[in-house]
Amino acid sequence: MMVMEAKSYTPWIIKYRPKKISDYIDQDEAKTILLTWIKSWERGTPTKKSALMYGPPGVGKTSLVEAIAGEFGYEIVETNASDFRRKDDIERRIKPAATKTTLSGKRRIILIDEVDGLSGTADKGGIESLFELVSITRHPIIMTANNPFHPDLRILRDVSVMIELKKMHQRDVVKVLKGICEKEKVLCEDEALKIIHSKNEGDLRSSINDLQSIAESFGRVTVDLANQLVYYRDREINPFDTLRTIFTSKYSWQSKQAISHSQVDPDTLIEWLSENIPLQLSEPEDVYLAFQALSRADIYKGMMKKTQNYDFLAYVIDMIGPGISLSRKKTKFKWIKYEYPKRIKLMGETKKARELLNSASQKIAKKMHCSSSTAKSEFIPALRAMYRTNKSEAEKIMRSLMLEDNEIKIILGSSTGEKESSGEAMDPKQQKESQKGSEEVQRKRKTSKK
Amino acid sequence: MLRTDEYLLWAEKYRPKSLKEIVNQEDIVVRLKKFIQEKNVPHMLFTGPPGTGKTTAALAFAHDLYGDNYQQYVLEMNASDERGIDDIRTKVKEFARARVVGTVPFKLIILDEADNMTADAQQALRRMMENFTATSRFILIANYASKIIEPIQSRTALFRFTPLSKNDVIERLKLIANKEGVKFEEEALETIYEISEGDMRKAINLLQSSSAVGKVTADVVYKVIGLAQPKEIRDMVSLALEGKFNAAREKLRKLMIEYGLSGVDIIKQIHKEIFGNNLQLSEETRLLIADYTGEVLFRMVEGADDEIQLNSFLAWLVLLGRRITQE
Repeated sequence: MMVMEAKSYTPWIIKYRPKKISDYIDQDEAKTILLTWIKSWERGTPTKKSALMYGPPGVGKTSLVEAIAGEFGYEIVETNASDFRRKDDIERRIKPAATKTTLSGKRRIILIDEVDGLSGTADKGGIESLFELVSITRHPIIMTANNPFHPDLRILRDVSVMIELKKMHQRDVVKVLKGICEKEKVLCEDEALKIIHSKNEGDLRSSINDLQSIAESFGRVTVDLANQLVYYRDREINPFDTLRTIFTSKYSWQSKQAISHSQVDPDTLIEWLSENIPLQLSEPEDVYLAFQALSRADIYKGMMKKTQNYDFLAYVIDMIGPGISLSRKKTKFKWIKYEYPKRIKLMGETKKARELLNSASQKIAKKMHCSSSTAKSEFIPALRAMYRTNKSEAEKIMRSLMLEDNEIKIILGSSTGEKESSGEAMDPKQQKESQKGSEEVQRKRKTSKK
Repeated sequence: MLRTDEYLLWAEKYRPKSLKEIVNQEDIVVRLKKFIQEKNVPHMLFTGPPGTGKTTAALAFAHDLYGDNYQQYVLEMNASDERGIDDIRTKVKEFARARVVGTVPFKLIILDEADNMTADAQQALRRMMENFTATSRFILIANYASKIIEPIQSRTALFRFTPLSKNDVIERLKLIANKEGVKFEEEALETIYEISEGDMRKAINLLQSSSAVGKVTADVVYKVIGLAQPKEIRDMVSLALEGKFNAAREKLRKLMIEYGLSGVDIIKQIHKEIFGNNLQLSEETRLLIADYTGEVLFRMVEGADDEIQLNSFLAWLVLLGRRITQE
């Protein structure tokens, strides 16, 4: 294929920005919260006049705002960290836009990008004047941040609707990349798109940039090219040092400082701690204490999510910092290599199986008028039990539920696998009353009568 | 398709089709029938524990209101399975758009497990209910009325479903067994009732899986319960008590990720398993663990991540196991 002709260069991240909500893929939860909030302005000023959208870079924070504005025909007044910094700039440039109505009478969205870049002496008073702006604004103010939990941002968190955007799934990133390749008429290999996704760790913006640079240089996107040209971006997501400091701290301030200085968010840290506590700590007492602390942290996190009250974050940090450090009582510290959380890996590896299980449970749910989680916890185990006592009957029932072969296989899953099919399955004709069984019956009777 | 009917799961096959087939919940049935007579139906909220007939009553109501072809007038959704309030709104909009022809001037929207919606989503739902009143009525189904926001409660007629009596459950099981030509011991049906705790769906499932073996005896029922529960649950508890935290956690991940069980499902099954004979434990220890599973359940309701709570449970078990062996 020919090398592309020189032409006016448009970055694909601009060319393919979603113009409407329907163009915008993934992040359903964030989409719902933001839409509900934006629409609530139609009925007068809501109690929270600003929203703080947060999440890792390139997951679509700004794009979502633009898609919504595009959909409703709102005007966006946009500023980002490189534009304005200090109190004076906000007073002079943003305040008029926020407090005056538009000429057309249309609503206006004030978009303030990267507010976490707004602390420090160069931007003195910036956060305070933003806070003030929120109290007097007549238009929705939307802020974005990578790390919204910086202590300086607290006053903004308190007055804002908090909206989290997560790292994008491979499926969704690949879908977007593929769509672009089709529109640009560029040949691409699916595997290559997956490589681009994984090296960019769910960052769609940098994925699109990489895609464009490969496609425009070579006219096609292959696995080899992707491997050669895409480098892992230098992200400060290495939690090893933070973990090590947490496990070795003697004083509370040390571990707390390690967490606040870390680029890793508390959610990710909890995941890493959960994986590595049993590796770092060998004494059961210590492991127990550490998991108790993690359990408390998770409860505070739950309260924070449910009530949207970010005061709870301080307690989460207490528990994953000093809570973990102080649980190392008997175990001597040793230098270990921390492991990547297996759960995250497993979720990736078992994706296909889980999708089949989901599709099977959805079919059952539909037929049985229940939720798919009820299908998983009640009907699938019942079918599994039936299969092990009366295979043909169970098969007929599963067919009547319109389940396909691969779905049936997943349902029967490991319980029909090697070790379990050995002795436990029952023969219908051979129903001797085993002594163990009748004892069990009696025990159950007793306990249920108590 | 009809020909496969005979192999259906009994929980569906024997679901009452019409209100007059519903034997219990008399007060509710009377009130519902009245709405049908007068063709004047408010938005409704059905609450009560699982397996007490909420969904059945909603479907039977639809059947009696519209006749045999009721499906075309009914939109059935389960809030736990919808992706968000926007999807629900889109479906409702689409469904409610066309006016109905026929004697009943509105359509019916059944939203199951509505208490799994966040307060914000419920607010949006409330507005939907107002916007579509001209063309549609809602039946919301929930386990707990308290988890439904006040404005919705005040806009709906509330029906409280109570757990089925032992007699009702056993009579129903007998009827099914007789129709299916299944032999059973009276005692087995009592056992089923006790295990399923008044949940008719569970009871019928258990009867059906037990009958696959042959004659249904109490013994068979217990064995089937054992087969239905993933073996990993018991293994996980044993491994933790032996001090093998990492191995126990592997089982936990298998249960959560491969079997797709929720933390709540798992802890409830552990609670049942604790009192079984498969685990060699003193009575004191059983009670101790049972108490702690309650604590874990409590923490899962409050917390954000079930696996973290179950990990901390396993760490507790490891410690307990060590104390037992030291004694």
